[in-house]
Amino acid sequence: MPHLEPQQRAMAINKLLSLGQLDLLRNSSGLLYRMKDAQSTSKMKGSDNQEKLVYQIIEDAGNKGNNNSRDIRFKSNLPLTEINKILKNLESKKLIKAVKSVAASKKKVYMLYNLQARPLSDGGGLADAARDSKQSPMVQRNSSFATSHEVWKYICELGISKVDLSMDDIETILNTLIYDGKVEMTIIAAKEGTVGSVDGQMKLYRGVNSVIQPTGLVRTPCGLCPVFDDCHEGGEISPSNCIYMMEWLDF
Amino acid sequence: MTAQELRLCGLLLREHFGEVVAKVATHLLRSGAQNLRTIIHETGISLDLVKKSLCVLVQHGACVFSSGRKGPGSPTEYRTSCDQILRILRYPRYIYSAKTLYGDTGELIIEELLQRGDMTMSSTVKTVADRLTQNMEEGRSMEYSEVSSTFSNLVETHFLQRCPPMGGAGKKDSATPAAPAAPTPGAGAAPVSTDQPTPESFPDCYKVPHVTLIGRGKRQLSSEDGEDQRNAKKAKMDTETHGDEGIYWQVNFERFHLHFRDQAIISAVANKLDQTSSEIVRTMLRMSEVTTSPTATCTKPLSANEIFRSLPSNYNIPRPILDQYLTLLVDDPMEFVGKAGESGGGMYVVNLHRALANLARATLESVVQERFGSRSARIFRLLLRKRHLEQKQVEDFAMVPAKEAKDMLYTLLSENLVQLQEIPKTPDYAPSRTFYLYTVNQLPTARMLLQNCYKTVANLIERRLFETKESKRLLEKSQRIEAILASLQASGAEPEQLTEVEEMITAPEKQQLEALRLHINKLDSAENQVDETIFLLESYVKSTTAA
Repeated sequence: MPHLEPQQRAMAINKLLSLGQLDLLRNSSGLLYRMKDAQSTSKMKGSDNQEKLVYQIIEDAGNKGNNNSRDIRFKSNLPLTEINKILKNLESKKLIKAVKSVAASKKKVYMLYNLQARPLSDGGGLADAARDSKQSPMVQRNSSFATSHEVWKYICELGISKVDLSMDDIETILNTLIYDGKVEMTIIAAKEGTVGSVDGQMKLYRGVNSVIQPTGLVRTPCGLCPVFDDCHEGGEISPSNCIYMMEWLDF
Repeated sequence: MTAQELRLCGLLLREHFGEVVAKVATHLLRSGAQNLRTIIHETGISLDLVKKSLCVLVQHGACVFSSGRKGPGSPTEYRTSCDQILRILRYPRYIYSAKTLYGDTGELIIEELLQRGDMTMSSTVKTVADRLTQNMEEGRSMEYSEVSSTFSNLVETHFLQRCPPMGGAGKKDSATPAAPAAPTPGAGAAPVSTDQPTPESFPDCYKVPHVTLIGRGKRQLSSEDGEDQRNAKKAKMDTETHGDEGIYWQVNFERFHLHFRDQAIISAVANKLDQTSSEIVRTMLRMSEVTTSPTATCTKPLSANEIFRSLPSNYNIPRPILDQYLTLLVDDPMEFVGKAGESGGGMYVVNLHRALANLARATLESVVQERFGSRSARIFRLLLRKRHLEQKQVEDFAMVPAKEAKDMLYTLLSENLVQLQEIPKTPDYAPSRTFYLYTVNQLPTARMLLQNCYKTVANLIERRLFETKESKRLLEKSQRIEAILASLQASGAEPEQLTEVEEMITAPEKQQLEALRLHINKLDSAENQVDETIFLLESYVKSTTAA
């Protein structure tokens, strides 16, 4: 805005800030101002500064949603009673919502109304469902690999998960399949522009069989015996009177 | 020499050679090299029996003798090692491989040699021909020349080798006569060394002698025991010479082990990829059978052209497809095959040591999976790949809830499959300021599992002996009845007498016998299965020590 004097500029900016029309951000080269869209400004019309602050904190956390009332109190330095009042207010205005945390179901976690919860690392059921569908023809054998991008699209289309999964989540789940020994991965160099490539590489997955059959040792009762170390000839537990062997022989 | 190995050796020797030999051998295993007098004194067995036991052990290669440590004049010392004795467990597998490769003739040759320890070629050929003739129909018999040709084949592919001549101990020159005499003290200027020359250090190791063997196998005319004894005695006094006196042959165990190793690699490739890839790997291994040393890390490089020419004729894969398969094998994460150059259409090697390490790793994973469940197996594989991880990281990567992850990790830790590494932040190892990382070390874990395998086999053998002992009375009774039946049949009795004798065994006893037979078979086959695991783990441990 070259035709204004710096002082006038400053005054105008300050006024807009107080009206809540502008967002103040900082980057490496200085301060940045961003126009708030009309809708979001109307939201906060009726609230006062404290509520705005709390709302800001919750918004900043994005969709990770890991702030409960204690975190919000810590970040805003407001007393607990105030925080509770504000949260109740915001909830009634339908600006935030409480979501049950997967880790501890007693705690409530707050996030903006229009975002969705992201799965945490111990989202067992969700991950299992995604993995079971993985046994499907999607991750194919031998000559055809599937890229992580294709797998992600397939899972989203299947719609088996109640929440949206990002490609990172899919890769984490695929990693667990690698640790199960059912899938293997190779990395190939890919051009930057190709779909799904990250940092010039693409990850390819395919289903594999195990390299050997279950080994000979585990086909005997001794291989699976819980008291293997206590077993001696002539003792309480010995091969001669082993009940596991007896059952195995009569099988 | 661990306690488990000792126990297993004792059991194997007792089964194959009897109580006395087992006692002498276990005593030697436990106390290292000893001379005759000490052995007699410490085991309390008479001189005669000890001498015979030592002969048996030497015959089978389980015991070696050398002149004493105190100088050239001291009495000879005898030493056993458990490696040779543990191979007794694998005899069925050797015989079966010989059968698949060289048919019944090969099987019988190997069986005879394993039983006797070492034999001359002529006596082997004669015995095997007689045995084969026994099983053929009337009027047909086995030519000696056929058996000789199979014998030569076995020698050419190095499955059989000459026994090293027993000269004086410490003499390294191969010109010593083949007289198994006591070492001549002071006759050799060479220093006393305790190394035994390997069979391969002799240039004639694989040379088939010129043997004049013409004839056919003899069928035994009657099947009575007395007749057998007389025939056996006659064979001993057989004074025919065939031109190969003093050249004794033994089974080359190392060669069989290489064969088993190749088989394991091929079946792993077949499981992981497909049949054609495994055929390619089989061809590559076959081409490098005699050019690769037993302890090599990988085979000699083979060009793709050579591989193409050597493929079996019924596998009509065109050249570009072969190249694709080779590329696929090279790119595989298991790294069975590696590329060593570009000449000749691409030079490829089979990575032997890496393949063994992968197979050992798969064995460990399979043990954890069967014993503790698939989630623990997931954690185990995760730790194998990522080396050191904190507990929190383990939970995150494996997607296992925290409580279960903790439980599983502690179980694995108590079974010593997983180790804990402490990294302190402060010089005092305060628990709150130390990182605790979980890790899996493949080699020590493999060694531990190997000992467990030995213990398992010993348990199975003991159980088998126990079952036999329990039903001893019943077994004796059934043996008596069989003998009576056989004699009645031979002397032409009537059917009523036969049925009368058969009914002496009651039905529940028959059932018991049947159950006993099933049990013994199951235990036997279990021993063989555990031996496969033992072989994989032993090869892996040996390959890491050699490297």
